Amino acid sequence: MKTILAVDDSATMREMVAFVLESAGYRVIEAEDGAQGLERATSTSVDLVITDQNMPNMDGLTLVRSLRELRDYKSVPILLLTTESSDAMKAQGRAAGATGWLVKPFDPATLLEVVQKVLR
Amino acid sequence: MADPRNPGTSDAAQAAGLLVAVAETLNERLAVTAEELARSQLLLRESSAHLMTAFRGAADRIVAAQKAAANGPEERNAEYALVLDHLYRAVHHLQSHDLVNQLIDAQKLRVGKMREKLEEALSLAAPPAREPQQPEQWIERSRAMLDCIVAGIRQIDDDARAPVRSDKHHAGSVDLF
Repeated sequence: MKTILAVDDSATMREMVAFVLESAGYRVIEAEDGAQGLERATSTSVDLVITDQNMPNMDGLTLVRSLRELRDYKSVPILLLTTESSDAMKAQGRAAGATGWLVKPFDPATLLEVVQKVLR
Repeated sequence: MADPRNPGTSDAAQAAGLLVAVAETLNERLAVTAEELARSQLLLRESSAHLMTAFRGAADRIVAAQKAAANGPEERNAEYALVLDHLYRAVHHLQSHDLVNQLIDAQKLRVGKMREKLEEALSLAAPPAREPQQPEQWIERSRAMLDCIVAGIRQIDDDARAPVRSDKHHAGSVDLF
């Protein structure tokens, strides 16, 4: 069973992501900001990270950069799931090493398609 | 107060009085806005909490039933998939509730900061302590008030934490790099 780390400061958003992914057979672990996400990612083996951008303590882009510096996370897919939709922000995400960018509110079927695709 | 024998002082004091009126009016309007935002958020939160409870109940049952019937009749699985699809639609709308809630938080923060600056301006409204008969003292006081009012208005453009910038056009879009 693939493990997905969902990082978001909104408990509702984490719950929605977890419900959709768990209903499709994935194991989901949660973190409420980038700092906690980094801690979870280093203490557990994770197959995919889905993170929000605007969070206290550590934002999503900083989390992506920090994870990419770790040997175990050089090739693990990382998706940004955020309300941010500007091309400039997406370019920053790409430069940081993110695998993809999804804009909230997400469509569950689309999220599952993307997850399946990046985990293939 | 201003010296009526000195027209320069009288004009400067009047100008300061106008700024007080502007700051007070803005502050009153913002107080109403803050109250309406708080009331809207309360209603939204209550409604979201009820929806989430109903959602959790339905989600837990359908996931458990789906697991139990994994090797069961195909018709039943198709029925579960249909129910799950309805829950997925709810997921979409519950996210919107959450985003609106965050948007209200950001607006409340902005309104609060604006009110702080306006109250700071109003606290400067008393006549100058030193040489109140001199127009320069009033002008200096008015400038300080104006700075506070402008700083308050600037809060509208300031980036509150966790702003919700998503628009309908981009919502749900996907870019894979």
